[in-house]
Amino acid sequence: MDASHGFKDPQSLSFQRPIIRRLILGSYWVVILFAIPFWWRLTSIERIALPSSRVHAQLEKRPVFPVNVQLDGSSFQGRAPVLASELSDLLAQSTRTSARWSDLDIHVTIDQNPAVDNQTARSVYIVALGNVTVVRHPRHLILSQHDASSAAKIADILMGLLAPEAPSRVQRVVQYAKRYRLAFTLLNEDVTSDELIYNWDIRAALAGKCRCLCAHIPLAEIVPDHISPVLSRLNVIHDFVIESQVQFHAPLAFEPVQIVSENSTFYGLTPGDLTVFVNSAEWTLSSSVSEDPVLHFLLFIPSSSRQPLHILDMQGSPTRHAVFLLPQWGGIYILNHLKHVGTRKHLTAVDLSLVFSAFANQLSALLGVSDLPHGVKSESPSTLSDWQLDTVLRHRALENIVGTQQTLHSIVKLVDQIENMPVDETARGDVQNALTALDQAYRTTAEPPLTILHWSREALSLASHAFFNPGMLALLYFPAEHKYAVYTPLFASIAVPLVVALGRELHAWRREHRTTAGN
Amino acid sequence: MHWGGALFTLCLSASLAASYTNNVPSAISGERYNEDLFIRPLLDGRVATTFTFTTDLLEDVLRDSESSGQHYTLFPLTLGQILEEYSIAELHLTLNSGKWDYDHWGYPDDPSVGTGAELWAWMADGPSSTIDERWTGLRNALAGLFCASLGSLDMRRTSSPSTVFPISSSPSTPHALRYANLPSENVCTENLTPFVKLLPCKSRAGLATLLNPQRIFDADWHGLNIHLRSTEKGTELKLGVQAVFDPVRLSGGRRRDWSFRLLFDRVIHNSCSVAGSSVVRVQVPDGESHALSPTFVADDSAAAVYNLITQVPLDVSMSWPYEHTFQYPRVHQSRLVPLSVQRTLHGSSQIHGLLFIALTNNGQNDIVVGYFENLPALVTLWMHTMEIKVDGVKRDDLISNVTYHPHHVLANGQKSPSTFQATLTIPAASTLHLSMEVSRAFLKYTEHPPDAMRGWDLPPAILFPVCDPTMGICNMRNTSTDVRGRMYTPSLLIDLPTPDFSMPYNVIIFTCTLITLIFGSIFNLLTRSWVIVRVED
Repeated sequence: MDASHGFKDPQSLSFQRPIIRRLILGSYWVVILFAIPFWWRLTSIERIALPSSRVHAQLEKRPVFPVNVQLDGSSFQGRAPVLASELSDLLAQSTRTSARWSDLDIHVTIDQNPAVDNQTARSVYIVALGNVTVVRHPRHLILSQHDASSAAKIADILMGLLAPEAPSRVQRVVQYAKRYRLAFTLLNEDVTSDELIYNWDIRAALAGKCRCLCAHIPLAEIVPDHISPVLSRLNVIHDFVIESQVQFHAPLAFEPVQIVSENSTFYGLTPGDLTVFVNSAEWTLSSSVSEDPVLHFLLFIPSSSRQPLHILDMQGSPTRHAVFLLPQWGGIYILNHLKHVGTRKHLTAVDLSLVFSAFANQLSALLGVSDLPHGVKSESPSTLSDWQLDTVLRHRALENIVGTQQTLHSIVKLVDQIENMPVDETARGDVQNALTALDQAYRTTAEPPLTILHWSREALSLASHAFFNPGMLALLYFPAEHKYAVYTPLFASIAVPLVVALGRELHAWRREHRTTAGN
Repeated sequence: MHWGGALFTLCLSASLAASYTNNVPSAISGERYNEDLFIRPLLDGRVATTFTFTTDLLEDVLRDSESSGQHYTLFPLTLGQILEEYSIAELHLTLNSGKWDYDHWGYPDDPSVGTGAELWAWMADGPSSTIDERWTGLRNALAGLFCASLGSLDMRRTSSPSTVFPISSSPSTPHALRYANLPSENVCTENLTPFVKLLPCKSRAGLATLLNPQRIFDADWHGLNIHLRSTEKGTELKLGVQAVFDPVRLSGGRRRDWSFRLLFDRVIHNSCSVAGSSVVRVQVPDGESHALSPTFVADDSAAAVYNLITQVPLDVSMSWPYEHTFQYPRVHQSRLVPLSVQRTLHGSSQIHGLLFIALTNNGQNDIVVGYFENLPALVTLWMHTMEIKVDGVKRDDLISNVTYHPHHVLANGQKSPSTFQATLTIPAASTLHLSMEVSRAFLKYTEHPPDAMRGWDLPPAILFPVCDPTMGICNMRNTSTDVRGRMYTPSLLIDLPTPDFSMPYNVIIFTCTLITLIFGSIFNLLTRSWVIVRVED
């Protein structure tokens, strides 16, 4: 404690006082503590809250389509009021009990003079009496005396028209898209076969008129329209692009079963074969140009060594059907024995008439068009009736709405599950707009079905846009662990002296405290 | 006697010409399909084979398709859709592997023999979508169709040299050219399989039966090409396969005899019944005693012709019965092309180098030829260092019409390629040396490919016939000695400065250590308590 050897006592230096040392150490820690919120803010991922409560509320909602059925007062005469109340009760009962009719809210009224009421006629279904039971354009149902005898019968027919039973429609009908490509392909199984078909009159078959009226085809034989009437009605819902090609060599990926019976030999496709019929490795059917879904329609001509080729049933006996449908993919027609074609090597529109009528049926089935109920005919059988078109529109709108709800729900669930997933303003905007469009769709259920389809489509496209937002994937594959691995060499080595110094000072301070307390 | 013989031959060839055409596919209106195989025995014992599958789509079919959808019979639908979608007037895609030896093999039957992938297309320059959008779409569509990495032919490799690749038709609407090449792309079975699927008979019948991938890709040189062009009649699609086989190698180094069985391990059993004509042509070498079997039916312009429609099964074989062992020709033999090219990159430094091109005129007349380089931004050419020498004497008068577009930075931060184009005059029987300094790019850490140490391929340079604008004709002065079509130089391999890829982590560790060291000493200085320790003596 003396200055005899010329040294100053370090304790007397101003900066060596314990309080200064503790202040220095304290300031380090204060800086670090203050920096932590900034660091946290700068390295955190932007996650804007999604309107999840609205999305969850949406899940419960289902649109209800009000349907107005008017009984023609002039044809039903005095029976009308009784019939109307009976029908109302019956229909209300069936909508309550059956799940497939729960989307409909059916009102039955009596109209004394339907012809005058032109404005509402667009969305009102009119039931009248006539000689036979037919549907008539627009939205008219004419009942025969027999069918109109009881309210239960009328209710049955009406339900069949408004909400047709479709047990397999969910699996069979293609997903909704604004635009479809219809790809027609003529497939020859083997190019070396004798029964090789070089060409087909696809344009004429599609347009429904025979362009080349050759000598051997009677002029009276006019090829009926098959595809174009379907397309002309459905083009309010979808756009269609048509393409066709001929493949001269399209081998099967399997060997058909050879079946020898007492008087003939033929080849058979078992139900199992049908599922692997399309040899996508060898047949170039798809194209890479557009992302629109493709519906394929294949006309398959077996090689001469494999003819006739029949579809077998479960028991292994041949069926009379030459055509089968692959759900959500397209249809296939197997054409055997071209005797009438002879050596022409060319299929005319007349030859193709049966094929394209089958294709038209398959196209309707794939696009979700339901058949008219049993016993009801259409006045113009080649075109779709308004009853059928309205059903498709309602189903499509419902499909889109349910799809939107599910997509929005998955977004919310995904964002909740993955904490690294960023959610930016555009994603939230899309979700909000999708919800708004959904609300719009509910509000327009009473209007013509095209309006609700429009809004439901809008909602679905916004929801999928939000779901596939590229910004949400940005940091998903760069987890926080990576950052720590890179920064640990810095953070750990700086933290060690800081923590040790803090501990030492605390220890010293406590000892000091104890000694002063002891004194 | 002689007259009679000539007349007989004439009649025979006329009737045979008629019989080449298959009368069955008359049912297919507006579309025609022809196939052709040309076999050329080469001087070095190799055999050059060229398959050409031509599909013609007549104009009225195209017009019709605009109204009622696209309907094709022989023309592949997948290509037709690409044509329509991107408004393509002309499209050329080649995938080649190997180096075409012009000196010993002569001109190839299809001029596009540049190593790797090469794509060029003339597309309508319309307002509906910009030309670059179309180019991107086309690249991706073709990449998907042919399973090739054409997606990497992006703006870093795309240029528009319209004088080198002129449009063959004269369209009324404005069209624009896009050209790109990728020398490191390899051609393999996965490209041939989708290629064969575009043919009407696939590989089941006709000439395509011979396209055995195991043999084609074993050949010394092989390549696929797709040429689509609009003609006055309609659209013409040419699918081609070229391969140069070495029967001497296949037969164990002794004989150069070849047959379909030896070259392709297959023979043709069926003809393609939708083909309008299906012909095998064999060039007969003159002045040598050879035997060709089976007996061929016609001989037009030194080629033996076999008609596949009437002559199946077919296994053409050629042998040299009086030759015990094949003797390779001497090195100093007359070259088959008037111009020989060498292109090399000198310099051991990783920063600088010297590009050196030697063009030798083998003929007795001066040759005027265009020279074109489309180099990615890996190298920069320095024009002021360009030197042209003939026999050691500087001759600046031999180069003209020099255009050079150095690379520039694109909107997305990538660099466009640099293009160099010039017209060179090579004096008769002499060698022109063109040299210029290049500097190599220093790439970003992330721009290196996975196998960075391999180096980068530089695309081949192209020699092309020049058009005289005053005459309006292309190099017609002396056809026998001038360059007939495009010629490709071999590609180059360039070594760029390659970083040590573990460096970033090392840098992080070093920096952290340094910062910790400084921090620790200052922190210690500030917070250490000093005491005097009395040392007891």
